[in-house]
Amino acid sequence: MHRTAKLAVSVLMATSMIALAGCSAADTGADSKTLKIVYEKTDSFTALDTLFKKIKPEFEAAHKGVTVNLQPIQANDDDYSTKLALSQQSAETAPDVFYEDTFRLRSDIDAGYLLNLDDHLDGWADWSKFNEGAKGAGMGDDGSTYAVPLGTDTRGIWYSKPVFTKAGIAVPWQPETWDDILTAARKIQATQPGVVPFNMYAGKGTGEGTVMQSFYELLYGTGDSLYNENDQKWVVGSAGFKDSLTFLDTLYSEKLAVDPSDALDPNVWKKVFGELFPKGQLGGTVEGSYTPSFWQKGGSYEWPAYVTDMGVAAFPTQNGDAPHGVSMSGGWTLAVGAKTKNADLAFEFLSLALNKENSLWYDINNSQIAVRTDVAADPTYLAANPFVAAVTDLVSVTHYRPATSDYPKISAEVQAATEAVITGQMSVDEASAAYDTAVEAIVGSDKVTK
Amino acid sequence: MKAEQIAPTRGANPGEPEPVGSGSPGRPESTEGGSRRRGPLGTRARTAARLLPLVPAVLLLLVFLAGPVAWSFYGSFTNAALTGKEARNPQWVGLENYVTLFQDPVFPLALWLTVVFVVASAIIGQNFLGLGIALLMNRANRVVGSLVGLTVVAAWVLPEIVAAFVAYAYFSKDGTLNQVLSAFGMTGPNWLFSLPMLAIILANVWRGTAFSMMVYRAALNDVPIEITEAAMIDGAGGSKRLVLITIPMIKSSITTNLMLITLQTLSVFTLIWVMTAGGPGNQSTTLPVMAFQEAFRFSDIGYGTAIATVMLLIGAAFSVVYIRALRPGKG
Amino acid sequence: MSVATLAASVASPRKATAAALSNGILIVIALCFLLPLAWLILASLDPDASYRTQIPANPSFANYAAVLTPGLTFLPLWNSLLLSGGAAVATVVAAVLAAYPLSRYTMRFNKPFMYAILFGTCLPITAIMVPVYSLFVRLNLIDSMPASILFMAATSLPMAIWMTKNFMDSVPISLEEAAWVDGASAMTALRRVVVPLMRPGLGVVFIFVFIQAWGNFFVPFVLLLSPSKQPAAVSIYSFFGQYGAIAYGQLAAFSVLYSVPVILLYALVSRGMGASFTLSGAIKG
Repeated sequence: MHRTAKLAVSVLMATSMIALAGCSAADTGADSKTLKIVYEKTDSFTALDTLFKKIKPEFEAAHKGVTVNLQPIQANDDDYSTKLALSQQSAETAPDVFYEDTFRLRSDIDAGYLLNLDDHLDGWADWSKFNEGAKGAGMGDDGSTYAVPLGTDTRGIWYSKPVFTKAGIAVPWQPETWDDILTAARKIQATQPGVVPFNMYAGKGTGEGTVMQSFYELLYGTGDSLYNENDQKWVVGSAGFKDSLTFLDTLYSEKLAVDPSDALDPNVWKKVFGELFPKGQLGGTVEGSYTPSFWQKGGSYEWPAYVTDMGVAAFPTQNGDAPHGVSMSGGWTLAVGAKTKNADLAFEFLSLALNKENSLWYDINNSQIAVRTDVAADPTYLAANPFVAAVTDLVSVTHYRPATSDYPKISAEVQAATEAVITGQMSVDEASAAYDTAVEAIVGSDKVTK
Repeated sequence: MKAEQIAPTRGANPGEPEPVGSGSPGRPESTEGGSRRRGPLGTRARTAARLLPLVPAVLLLLVFLAGPVAWSFYGSFTNAALTGKEARNPQWVGLENYVTLFQDPVFPLALWLTVVFVVASAIIGQNFLGLGIALLMNRANRVVGSLVGLTVVAAWVLPEIVAAFVAYAYFSKDGTLNQVLSAFGMTGPNWLFSLPMLAIILANVWRGTAFSMMVYRAALNDVPIEITEAAMIDGAGGSKRLVLITIPMIKSSITTNLMLITLQTLSVFTLIWVMTAGGPGNQSTTLPVMAFQEAFRFSDIGYGTAIATVMLLIGAAFSVVYIRALRPGKG
Repeated sequence: MSVATLAASVASPRKATAAALSNGILIVIALCFLLPLAWLILASLDPDASYRTQIPANPSFANYAAVLTPGLTFLPLWNSLLLSGGAAVATVVAAVLAAYPLSRYTMRFNKPFMYAILFGTCLPITAIMVPVYSLFVRLNLIDSMPASILFMAATSLPMAIWMTKNFMDSVPISLEEAAWVDGASAMTALRRVVVPLMRPGLGVVFIFVFIQAWGNFFVPFVLLLSPSKQPAAVSIYSFFGQYGAIAYGQLAAFSVLYSVPVILLYALVSRGMGASFTLSGAIKG
């Protein structure tokens, strides 16, 4: 036995030595000619992975001796950004090209993680094909461009026509006020027990989804906003903030939305799209223009009937005031890491991923709103799903998140406020006061306004 | 490795009744063996040569334990961040993080929840349940005893994250616990949502009791049977024997066990992170969860480090108390 | 333990009732501890598993088949093996070397050192993860497997030194004296005489460190970033985040696969010498 144990130990030791040696050798040797591409991949978001896998051999064939090292991070948006930020800290681990949410751009540009792309873009003919909004999305405070958008999105109400019809509500449906939503939801509740009438995200579990696909649609329809762009100050103590919380409180306390405990589950949206809508157990929800990507062929929850069963409507303003609709826009970009040793190669990879053909493929397969004018005009893009025209119209009433580096922290506080309210831990006034205190602590009292 | 092959070498084990200079936590200097060798000629050079084998361990400890602890103190005085301009140029901010921390409404809550978690799940739950099981095992049927030992230990041997998933499934709304309750005609609450602290405390008792049980079994085995028998002849009843004889005899084991489980529980993160992620709201946000969220979710490394430093100080305070209690002449 | 059992079996009727009562209580406790685990086993065999504990309607190994792929299971398990094996080897080597002078020579230095070690045993590792991360960034060690191995070794080193010193104290010095007479140096004596005698003890230290490292989630989660270096603890977490709400059965199967190695190791060590016996060596007061 002793001999065996000795053997086992020495084998283990030897293997770990080899592994140690192997790791360091690989790291130093191949560095200069490897492009590290970091991006998100989940069971419901595989479009980018597919795209990169498709262009990797193309790129490697065109650039002899270059290896494209694809590093998909399998995580939700929050975990992805944590991992990405952790990897940005040192040159060894920082990516050459990475996938980044627009709302983290400013903050990461401030941190010096993104390479200034101005010179590269000057020499890229395709850049002129990108619309102005898209060009603005990747811009830093200094007016330089640091990232190129993959597409953009808008947000609206997605509702189930069968459920609405059964409740005696005429479709197509377009609510004019918040009350119209509550009225419809109550009708569904009264006629169809077991069906969730109208869900809107809340709580920290759904992260940025809570604010982008729920709270801001409410807030920006009250006439108030999160941030005053003119004074560059954060708005606290607004009536709109409280009204928005009150609306969510009503939805959850009247059981018009999912159970609060389900709402806190980060995976609640999978239930919404994978289960509730296809089974006709949900009246409506607020979600992005990319929603068809879940259901279309090759999506995570294939459901061909969505074409006929689902309807899309603009989210109304609080009392039906102009412009009669509210939408939020975000989107993701590709950027080149500031610590890259092969800036030119990295940019070439980025431009290959975003050329017309690849942008078109990605926009269709991930249900993105095109930011390239040539893609937007392409007949296959327009025919990709029946909702392209409707969600593109929402661009006219859309809003963007404040592009400041404090934003992610403020957003977390908004999420906390919604969670406190729907779980009954705080009243609307308390949660709103707690938010005000937290915002002041984050940005300082000179950066807030009533 | 087979049992019978190890058995003959048991003499090399400190479980034997009279190990040579069996170093106890209180008497680390009791190494009579070496003193015989140390002659009057012991020079500085010789001492240095003798200390040489300590170098790898000392290096590892300095770089990977002392280093981070020192860094923790330093980092908590900066505004280092994962993103934003602070990430490029962290600044020395003095006590700012601590001032913010003591004004943060979440901090007193997290501190309180941490204390509740440690006291309820470790000091009360694991400790008493572990002692209870160990005592019962001494009276129970041998087969039953080892069977129970096995099931209790199973939860402890599982990788932390698997234990956390299992606990998550067990306490979830449609989980096993509520199934059992409904079999008895009761409707269980949604544990992770309505009673998150209770759920994580029970989960930690489930996971950690094995450790206390094993410590106490070992300690009870070392209580000479003659002493308890003598007490029995004197007519001392079961509980009296326990309080008057057994407990004092295993006092140092109790202290050691309390120290170790307190500090282990203080740093429990994965279990809570998987089960509730600190929620709902902040209702199960203990200090490790808060430190993780501030540092890695909200990118505020400096602030997260300040929370970590507070945890280190709490841990240090606990250790000092326990180590003093273990000193010879007091136990 | 055998003495105690013996005492119980030859006891009075009153004691027999006490034994029956003890048995009863223990069985109830065992059931409570077993209940949560039932889900894990049953769900792993059930293709239609949910969070409910149920006897599988169509039991099969489909879940296992689904997760037994290189990317999902084998690579992470291999990484776990490297991480835990490396940490355990490094710890045992450093601990044996360190324990020798502490056990064999009386020095002024011993007492404060052992106190420092004891204090190190108490450090809440979670608390230093944020500073460790910052430190690793500064030293350019993020995403480095060897550095993570050494860090894990360092975290278990205080406990390992403590245990090893206690094991070593119980090896009679007279045996080494014989070696010294033969002219062997201290290190040779350590290698030829002491280490072979305390091999079971070292096995215990090795396995304890290994099990601890195997189950560790937080350290690799923060320190290792490349998907290809992730150990099972981290890959299982992302699996849970992504598919947990859907593929309960696969999650359970994955968990079982990941747990089996440490359970076997543990069974090995406890069959050899008894777990409690082991711990008494570790922290005996």
